[in-house]
Amino acid sequence: MNSKIGTYWQTIRRTGVRVACGALFASLPLLAADLTVPRQATANSAITIGTAGEGSGELYLIGPTARIKRNVRLGDSVQLKPEEIQAAGLYTVILRGGGGAAKSFWVAPAAPQAINFLAQPSRVAASTPDAISGTVFVMDRYHNLVLSAVPVKFELALQDAASERTVNAREGVAWARMDSGHHAGNAQFTASVDDSSVKRIIQQVAAEPCNVNFHAHPAPAGIVVETDLLRDCAGNAIPDGTIVTFTDIDAHGKSTVDAVVKRGIARAELPAAPAAVISAASGIVSGNELHWNGDAR
Amino acid sequence: MNNIFLRLRRGTGILLATLLVTSTFCRPADLPVIAPRVQLDAENAGPREIEEQTEKAIVRDYGAAWTALNQALERNQPEPLGDLWVGTAKQLFLDALQQQEQSGIRIRYLGQQHQLQAVFYSQEGSALELQDTAQVERQVLDGETVVNSESLTLHYLVVMTPTTDHWQVRIFQSVADF
Repeated sequence: MNSKIGTYWQTIRRTGVRVACGALFASLPLLAADLTVPRQATANSAITIGTAGEGSGELYLIGPTARIKRNVRLGDSVQLKPEEIQAAGLYTVILRGGGGAAKSFWVAPAAPQAINFLAQPSRVAASTPDAISGTVFVMDRYHNLVLSAVPVKFELALQDAASERTVNAREGVAWARMDSGHHAGNAQFTASVDDSSVKRIIQQVAAEPCNVNFHAHPAPAGIVVETDLLRDCAGNAIPDGTIVTFTDIDAHGKSTVDAVVKRGIARAELPAAPAAVISAASGIVSGNELHWNGDAR
Repeated sequence: MNNIFLRLRRGTGILLATLLVTSTFCRPADLPVIAPRVQLDAENAGPREIEEQTEKAIVRDYGAAWTALNQALERNQPEPLGDLWVGTAKQLFLDALQQQEQSGIRIRYLGQQHQLQAVFYSQEGSALELQDTAQVERQVLDGETVVNSESLTLHYLVVMTPTTDHWQVRIFQSVADF
């Protein structure tokens, strides 16, 4: 009898110890899941994400373009290939399993290697201050905007004449205004960062005529007026198609004739008048004045 | 009697409008895509001053671009991006949509508020750079399961360029801070 009681007692004690131990272990937390991510990374670099905890789970990587899911054993590291983090920006790593965890890190742009260059206008009058504008967006080879203060060189060149300006990019953008050159022709407007450069052609055309001198002579039906060879103040020939307006004031009133420049000269025929004052103008430039009385004076 | 018909007609009109809006923006599995709130501070832009009309157009078109993006991300289709997103900005999201398609993971932005600060407007008006401070709730979904939901303050550098009748997002990059 006593031995039976003893056996029961021992069984109860053992079970009690087992239950107590089970309860104790159950109350202890499992090693909580955690993540180790780089503080910062550079675009297109390989990185390692550390996991901690017990058991297995799913790891998600969410970035500007990344939507990646991996099954992981907690405690192992996860390698990310360079091509998986080419877009600069915020990346979030999410761990599901073992209690879960989430951490974020930043991927910075790589070194500058490409330029987006906006040049305006495509056609401009020569010798005009601040007439040409260039805007550059500095990118790395993965199309990320490079945010550091990268020096950007702007250069405008035609024949032997060249002008240049260097500007530090701010938040990925650099801009400059340049005076157009003195000579008419196709100028090369270049923006460069380190070894990368992009060229645009800016057509520089003659500015306003420096003066509009003209002469007149009688013709069978009236008076023929004709300018000298028209040039701007830098000596560039005024382009064909430019308008010169001749104005005739006589006893009958005022009449005007618009003449188109051909080969640098504008020519028109005015009605005959015994006495007239004739003037010429092109754009904002006025020319000489002639007093016609059968011949020019 | 006429009053009752008028009320019925009004009620039907409202119902039809609601159905139209719902059918336009919702598919059975989708949440309605709500247009984000966008505000612009154009005071510090330079070298060119931003005209009032341009300010309004930027707010309108940046908001439209985000609405289009939300639709594209929700439906996993590039078509909504249209020509509101172009260049490297569009490519960024085409790549993201491709990855969403492959992995079955997608993201959803809710309750968006964008505070824009114009920092550069080119002299000839051909490019505009903005800093966007966005308050969002971002959800990460694996299939239809939300695996993560966070309220975030995000910073974006945005370059927009004009067409004849609207502005397009050409460069778009998330940054740590300004």
